[in-house]
Amino acid sequence: MFLELEHLTMKFGGLVAVDDISFSVNKGEIHGLIGPNGSGKTTIFNMLSGYYKPTSGKIVFEGKNITGLPAHKVTQAGFARTFQNLRLFKSMTVLENVMVSMGHLAKTQLLNVMFNPIAAQKENDLFTEKAMKLLDLLDIRQYAHNLAVSLPYGTQRRVEIARALATEPKILLLDEPAAGLNEVETNELAEILTTIRQSGITIFLVEHDMKLVMGSCHEITVIDYGKKIAEGDCDCVRSDPRVIEAYLGKEEDL
Amino acid sequence: MKKNPKTLKLILFSIAGIALLIFPLLAKNSYQVHILNLVGIYMMLSLGLNIAMGYAGQMNLAMGALWAVGAYTAGLLNQRLGLSLWLTLPCAIVAGGLVGGFVGLPALKVRAHYLSIVTIGLNEVINIILVNETKLTGGVDGISKIAKPALFGFKINTEQRYYYLILIAVIATFLISRQILSGRVGRNFRAIRDDYKTAPAMGVNAGFYKLLAFIISGCFAGAAGALYAHLNAYISPDIFEHKTTLFIMTLTMVGGLGNLNGSLIGSFILPVLQEYLRAIQDWQYVVYGLAIMVVVLFVPGGLMQVFTLLKPYVTMLTSRFNKLKSGTTVGEDSNVS
Ligand SMILES: Nc1ncnc2c1ncn2[C@@H]1O[C@H](COP(=O)(O)OP(=O)(O)OP(=O)(O)O)[C@@H](O)[C@H]1O
Ligand SMILES: [Mg+2]
Repeated sequence: MFLELEHLTMKFGGLVAVDDISFSVNKGEIHGLIGPNGSGKTTIFNMLSGYYKPTSGKIVFEGKNITGLPAHKVTQAGFARTFQNLRLFKSMTVLENVMVSMGHLAKTQLLNVMFNPIAAQKENDLFTEKAMKLLDLLDIRQYAHNLAVSLPYGTQRRVEIARALATEPKILLLDEPAAGLNEVETNELAEILTTIRQSGITIFLVEHDMKLVMGSCHEITVIDYGKKIAEGDCDCVRSDPRVIEAYLGKEEDL
Repeated sequence: MKKNPKTLKLILFSIAGIALLIFPLLAKNSYQVHILNLVGIYMMLSLGLNIAMGYAGQMNLAMGALWAVGAYTAGLLNQRLGLSLWLTLPCAIVAGGLVGGFVGLPALKVRAHYLSIVTIGLNEVINIILVNETKLTGGVDGISKIAKPALFGFKINTEQRYYYLILIAVIATFLISRQILSGRVGRNFRAIRDDYKTAPAMGVNAGFYKLLAFIISGCFAGAAGALYAHLNAYISPDIFEHKTTLFIMTLTMVGGLGNLNGSLIGSFILPVLQEYLRAIQDWQYVVYGLAIMVVVLFVPGGLMQVFTLLKPYVTMLTSRFNKLKSGTTVGEDSNVS
């Protein structure tokens, strides 16, 4: 199994944000995680990426137990993530933001990059070249030298994805990447997701945009109040009465 | 226009270089040179603090004590073992780095204001050790008769000669700072400063880089300490009290946090100003306090920010001036903008 969540539970004081959830994510697929607001999706991401230590339960990635590893170790193990609320480095250009993510892969010794101008320049050149390729992939090359936080919302979302990809992950966790995007941008995002998946990276997607989820995901897990209420492929989930009641039903009311 | 910005820069650099080289010959007395030597030492301290505080966002308010660690390491090694500056300097750098790393340990648990309070507390702890470990440190009397260095028999025993030594040290420290910050390490520092919670998701080991920032500032302070001890020949704990730490912080903030040039400017202006403010004694701290308040409230980027704010006006004025001088026609004018 590629990624397995086993009986994951996260309590905040008296609140059980994630309640005994188990499921697995298959390699090479786009796996959706949906549920109403406050159902615990971001909390699951935070546990997976090393931000929260689960109250109980296990996370097994490629056969290794990674539960409770610090965030930078989880990234080194092959996880990358974006944030629901944009969190780009505010003093950096788009290029620099992306280059930060490459540091953990660097081959050059630390003392060498600190004191040897030639080695440092070589590393910077290499990183720049790799980063530019990612900017091309997300079609944001023209903003390379702009301050990332000065860009429009949709563009910043792309920078977040480029920055996550720059860690060279095996699995990419996207927390509501379509939030705040218009329809054209959302369609472009769907294409980007396909390209990323085709390059061999598994995607784990939290998203409220049902069209995007149903159009892109191979497998969907639905949670409500921290509990898993359904899983399966799109059709299966769409027709599940509990899902309709908890989630899709609400959408229709709106 | 024939002059391009590059040649202009080169000319300015040469003028500055020559001015720096001949300053000791023009100075009215060796006291003036002494002040400038202190300015150089403050520059090294401020560069160290700027890397920790301005770039990595780590409040290292123990710079005075780390400076003392360097000074006492050099002073003791010279007094007890007779080592010269060339040997005490590397030892002081190592000692400063080690104690710097130790002072930085709380950064793994606390941040921002809390870190300021803890580190300024550690500054006091180190100072109290200097005062009370009389047998080792000489207590309040400090250490005296620290030897001046010599290079191949040439004695560096006057303020004027020491000036060139410090000039080289400052240039080296500045270039090393720039080098460290130019690559991966600099980006990781800024990443943990901008958003310490997000950086780990990008693979940055935040704890390691926090400690590294403290260690680097400690190394710089250690070097500054050794140079100071051999320059002054006498050191005592009162020089390295928390008010020194606050002075270093003030001049760094006034110059510009997150900008190495700011460290150079702040380290020049404040110690020189201090000479003029000597008459008002402790009231000078009111002036520094006000300076910090003005910076924090109005120009968080310090004087360097003021310069960037003024830049468009300067360019405008110079282009007007050039136009007047050459009597540009309207046609050419449109090319300028
Ligand atoms: N650090 C925390 N401390 C206390 N409670 C928290 C914390 N993080 C999340 N929660 C709570 O856990 C529950 C789940 O929150 P979570 O952010 O995971 O929801 P979500 O499914 O991502 O919602 P949304 O769709 O609005 O993003 C909420 O009730 C939230 O208030
Ligand atoms: Mg969420």
